[in-house]
Amino acid sequence: MEKISRYSLVFITVIVLSIGLPKLFWIFFEKPVKKPFIQYSCVNHDFLIYRSNEKIWEDTKGNQYSRDEYEQKLPLFFFKQLYISGTLPDSINHVPIDLKELAREKSFFHLRQGEIDAPVPDLFPLFESRSGRAMLEWPEDFFRITWRIEFIDAASNKILEEKSQMFSASLYHNGFVFPAKLISGITSQKKSCDEGYFIVDSKNQLFHLKMVIGKPYIRKIEIPYGLIIRHISCVDFKNKAFYAYLLSDKNEIYILSQNEYKLVKWPIEGYDSATSDLKIYGDMLNYTIVIEGYNYLKVIALDKKYQFIDSYSEKWDVKEDLKYGKIFASIFPAQVSMTSENSKYVRFYFSISRGFNWFLLNLALLAIHFALLYWRKKQLRNHFIDLGIIAICGIYGFLAIHFFRNKFYE
Amino acid sequence: MDNVIECHNLTHYYGNKLVFENLNFRIKEGSILGLLGKNGTGKTTVFNILNGFLHPTKGQCFIWGEDSQYLSDMSKLRIGFLIEGHIQYAFMNIQQIERFYRGFYPRWKSASFWELISKLDISPRQRISTMSCGQRSQVALGLILAQDPDLLILDDFSMGLDPGYRRLFVDYLREYAKSENKTIFTTSHIIQDMERLIDDVLIIGSNNVLVQSTLNEFLDNFNRFDFELEESKTELKKDAILVNIERVKNKVELYTFSSENEIYKYLADKNVSVKNFKRVSMALEDAFIGLTGKY
Amino acid sequence: MWRSVFYKEWLKIRWFILLYALVGFVVIVYIYLKLKHSFMFLGAKNVWGAILFQSIVYFKVFRFIPLIGGTIIAFTQYLPEVLNKRIKLSFHLPLNENKILLLMQAFGALSLFISFLVFLILFGIIGLYFLPEQIVLDSLITIFPWILAGFSSYFIVSFVVLEPMWIYRFFYFLNGAFFISIHFASIITASYRPIILSLTLMSILLSSALLFSGYRFRKGESWYGKN
Repeated sequence: MEKISRYSLVFITVIVLSIGLPKLFWIFFEKPVKKPFIQYSCVNHDFLIYRSNEKIWEDTKGNQYSRDEYEQKLPLFFFKQLYISGTLPDSINHVPIDLKELAREKSFFHLRQGEIDAPVPDLFPLFESRSGRAMLEWPEDFFRITWRIEFIDAASNKILEEKSQMFSASLYHNGFVFPAKLISGITSQKKSCDEGYFIVDSKNQLFHLKMVIGKPYIRKIEIPYGLIIRHISCVDFKNKAFYAYLLSDKNEIYILSQNEYKLVKWPIEGYDSATSDLKIYGDMLNYTIVIEGYNYLKVIALDKKYQFIDSYSEKWDVKEDLKYGKIFASIFPAQVSMTSENSKYVRFYFSISRGFNWFLLNLALLAIHFALLYWRKKQLRNHFIDLGIIAICGIYGFLAIHFFRNKFYE
Repeated sequence: MDNVIECHNLTHYYGNKLVFENLNFRIKEGSILGLLGKNGTGKTTVFNILNGFLHPTKGQCFIWGEDSQYLSDMSKLRIGFLIEGHIQYAFMNIQQIERFYRGFYPRWKSASFWELISKLDISPRQRISTMSCGQRSQVALGLILAQDPDLLILDDFSMGLDPGYRRLFVDYLREYAKSENKTIFTTSHIIQDMERLIDDVLIIGSNNVLVQSTLNEFLDNFNRFDFELEESKTELKKDAILVNIERVKNKVELYTFSSENEIYKYLADKNVSVKNFKRVSMALEDAFIGLTGKY
Repeated sequence: MWRSVFYKEWLKIRWFILLYALVGFVVIVYIYLKLKHSFMFLGAKNVWGAILFQSIVYFKVFRFIPLIGGTIIAFTQYLPEVLNKRIKLSFHLPLNENKILLLMQAFGALSLFISFLVFLILFGIIGLYFLPEQIVLDSLITIFPWILAGFSSYFIVSFVVLEPMWIYRFFYFLNGAFFISIHFASIITASYRPIILSLTLMSILLSSALLFSGYRFRKGESWYGKN
């Protein structure tokens, strides 16, 4: 019984140490890695890179620029600055410049890597999209989709039966198969107008749901056969070109156009929503798509018709590649953390150290423990499990085992 | 008669410090054994080993033939244990503590407990933490008597008690043990108490047993002789016969297991001339100090 | 015999557990009084919106309540046992030493379990009056690791208190405190959902921890050897 108790404690301690020690190590030795900022220049027809650490502005061929030159080569991005400095050109690539249009076409979208694997609310406010008011008003009720759609009045916490039946019937008649897999909309009053929600039903069909003057507006959207939508990010861009970015289960990026709900797949490769951030900068002439991973960056430029122009990628050394990273990998066999960049959920995120240097330390610790046992004239057969724990868990196991001394009397 | 407790070759170290080595002793059923030793000789260590609160470096103790490290529930049922200072659950009152222990012992004798408690000027709802040392000792004793164990292990029962209570405790205990044929293993730093209580004595020195015998045998055989040396330059050294010598100038107190005649002969052999030679009778306390020394 | 053990433990903790239950009750009532207050001043819809979309955890004040409970009960149960080494009395009872320790742990854990259950039921039932079941359910999932922290802290503190050596006590405390902290790594609603089961298993493993320090106590483990 006492032995079970000891091994339980050793087990817990190994976990505690494999969370705590790496954390402590990196608090002491981690140095910040600054990622380059890369944009597509419609002037140079090349990517321009700003390295904030070294204060270097350059292009992909290594030509360096001053800050002013750099900004002038990205007139659509820095148009406000250029306007103030009086250096905004009249036209770019024979397209005349209009400040209002520049502002309208400029957009920014950011999908963080942890955003998809996160707890999501399952109640949503359905705004009145044609209230006739200048400002959107937060509705009095919230809806959820279970075996039907239900509206719950917040003040009384009661289901609004009539409204629920009306919307459920409408969804049903449009071919919606309850329940919903995915519900996405902009749940904020601070948007230019309300476009309701995009909902994926249990048969992977896509629907648009809005409330127009108290009545349901439901539209089933045609999607390519076999497309499984994993995530929808609704956007509220000034140019009203599209409703949302869609992400398929194969990490393909689509846009849902406001023109007849056309679904357009963007020619983007190398994106993985679990491990990289997605940033999309739109302007009057191009879209610059930045896929930002832990130690790499891939930038893709598209034109206004979503056609591929150019791409550029870069890699850099992260802490694991540097001196302390190598020291880390020869001490600690693995690292466990409770939180991750890749998710908003708490889990035991386990990552094995690179290489096998840590295994050498495991063996050394094993030898030390062996020597200690020999020196203290202990019987080996009582220590087999301990030795196994050291072999596998390395320094964590070694510390844990000496923390909870294996001192039992026969 | 059978031995209730047997300890074989008991050896214990604290780190590298030897406490005792190859301690052997046994306690016969129905007898009362007092363990005597100066501070630091390991009395508490012996008690802890016997109660399974310490694993000896070497050797074993048996209680009714069972290893004291792994006593069965049946054996523990028959052992009454008094912790040094009459420690009990201070957060309980008398009623509660009686009710608590009653659940464990099938032979529980509530009447004996309440009989002893009724002699005290306390209410049954008084918490033990608010009692005087003497009152607590009575409660602890009452609990042991109610448990009706066959073996009583009492660690320094006189701690914190005033003389009246000590006397009461000892007399009550001895009468109880003798009338019910109980075995007692005890220690106390007040040796007069022991003298009234025990049948057998076990004296341990710095790391070995000095004496194990009945109390009377020890008192009969261990002698003190006082005399004066004729010549102040004469040297006397401890040896197998001269167990201890306390000397102030020419005056000598000699402690020995030898008889008067043997000592005469011994001194004569060594050409030591003495005057005013006399035998001094000793109580247990004197004998203990004589045997182990004042320091 | 287990009844006697439970009786003793009950005598030790009764006022503390009752007081603790009262405090927990007051905290839960306070949570909902405050929610009701916000409903009145901000409007129910806005409060719902804040809970759903701005990750407002309206019951945050409950966060450390189970942890405090576990710690208090462990101290009230085991401090009297280690003062003057009273635990020797228990070990001397005609019952296997491990069984006694497990019974003591069972009683403490049971008392906590009952308090926590009452809290959760109260929290859920009052919650359902103000909020839809989705929000209440997510809240309960959010609270669950805190409850586990309560149990784990109970097991850890009892094991640390019973440990006979101060230096080990110190390390075991650090170790335990860090383990407890992993229950509070994120305040995002329902973010612990994936590891609730593993944390529960770890809590169950820890329930045996007391046996280890109990064994060390019984075998006279100490720095200078004096027991």
